[in-house]
Amino acid sequence: MVVVLLPALLATEAGGRAQFELDARTVEQALRQLPIADLVFDEHGALRRLVNVYVDGTDIRERDGLTTTLDGSETLRLVGAIAGG
Amino acid sequence: MTVAVLAGTRKGLFVLESEESRTDWQLRGPLLEGWSILHAIVDPRDGALHACANHPVYGATVQRSDDRGETWTRAEELGLSEDSELTLARTWHVEPGPPERPGELWLGGDPACLFRSDDGGRTWEAIRGVLEHPTRDRWMPGAGGLICHSIQVGVHEPERVYIGISAAGTFRSNDRGETWEPANSGVAADFNPDPNPEVGQCVHKVLAHPGRADRLWQQNHCGVYRSDDAGRTWERLDGNGLPSDFGFALGLDHRDPDVAYTVPMIGAENRVVSDGRLGVYRTADGGQSWNLSAGGLPEHAWVGVLREGMASDQLDPLGLYLGLQSGSVFASRDGGERWTEIAAYLAPVLSVETGVWS
Repeated sequence: MVVVLLPALLATEAGGRAQFELDARTVEQALRQLPIADLVFDEHGALRRLVNVYVDGTDIRERDGLTTTLDGSETLRLVGAIAGG
Repeated sequence: MTVAVLAGTRKGLFVLESEESRTDWQLRGPLLEGWSILHAIVDPRDGALHACANHPVYGATVQRSDDRGETWTRAEELGLSEDSELTLARTWHVEPGPPERPGELWLGGDPACLFRSDDGGRTWEAIRGVLEHPTRDRWMPGAGGLICHSIQVGVHEPERVYIGISAAGTFRSNDRGETWEPANSGVAADFNPDPNPEVGQCVHKVLAHPGRADRLWQQNHCGVYRSDDAGRTWERLDGNGLPSDFGFALGLDHRDPDVAYTVPMIGAENRVVSDGRLGVYRTADGGQSWNLSAGGLPEHAWVGVLREGMASDQLDPLGLYLGLQSGSVFASRDGGERWTEIAAYLAPVLSVETGVWS
């Protein structure tokens, strides 16, 4: 199972859950299953620009983005990439 | 009865509650912690809360609560269609529909978009008549973006809707949003090569008087205006007691259509209150004259008040509420004669609204 870890604001929006365990073959498949998928993707299906996704600590931009494949042992961490107030 | 004042801030929603006397206020919050609340309302028809909750990372939402803010539900699939080639950036203003259509709500957003819900805010449909308006290529974003921020449903005419878009101007629909006509005759656009264009006016706030059909008030980038013919023509009202023609906030008195309140600011290039003081100005003669109505407000102040920064209740005597970017909320329960600070040290206040819970 893939483990997905959410930051505090997304966890609140997900009903208080900060961790999900999901069956998924790609990063996108994992993220689409989340109850907060509408906050991660915009209405046209694009990953929001300031949402960073890490697979076992590696930014998916350094791999294959949303199509990065998963074997089921990974941990995905979502981080909002915002600076300032 | 509980009187509620909703203070939307950059870091969540706060609720101030009082009995009808409005003498003692209790603060709750933050609700929707971490979200920027550009506007929130108590729906007078069912008591539900609706909030325009935005986040720089997680986007634009509108959320509903049926338990006075304890729990919230995000609207489903809120956004603009692919063929519009637009992406919803922020939700700015939510407005209840008429009493005879209890599920109807309106929502304005950035970039210059309007949505209607017919199911109490669960789902929203973008209004194509705004997205595809024939003058849209002449609309220019203001400092806050290209935003639909003012929405008013016609008094006694529920098919009529007014919207204000910066900087496109005021528009009126007589068919519940299907078609829209510019309503800017007499409204200046001094920054424009043509100072009296059909569209392009930088409207800052439009309010319809709740008791008198066809009477509108407008605070604009270039003046304060009143219309007595549903926005067909406007009369400019500044230069007769106001220290500046520039401002954002606007308030009305539900008991008297000739009464209005505004908070003048120095100007477009320096958006803080005029004369180095926090000054609310009141007219009681339809805008022919204005007087300072600021007892209890700080006489030395250098603060900003945003377009959603003032609200008035539906009680007698009239209650007025003022939210500041410095994180304070002031209230008056005598029509603006005396003001009291009812909250301080909040995050910057983006919006103030009021309603009642029975």
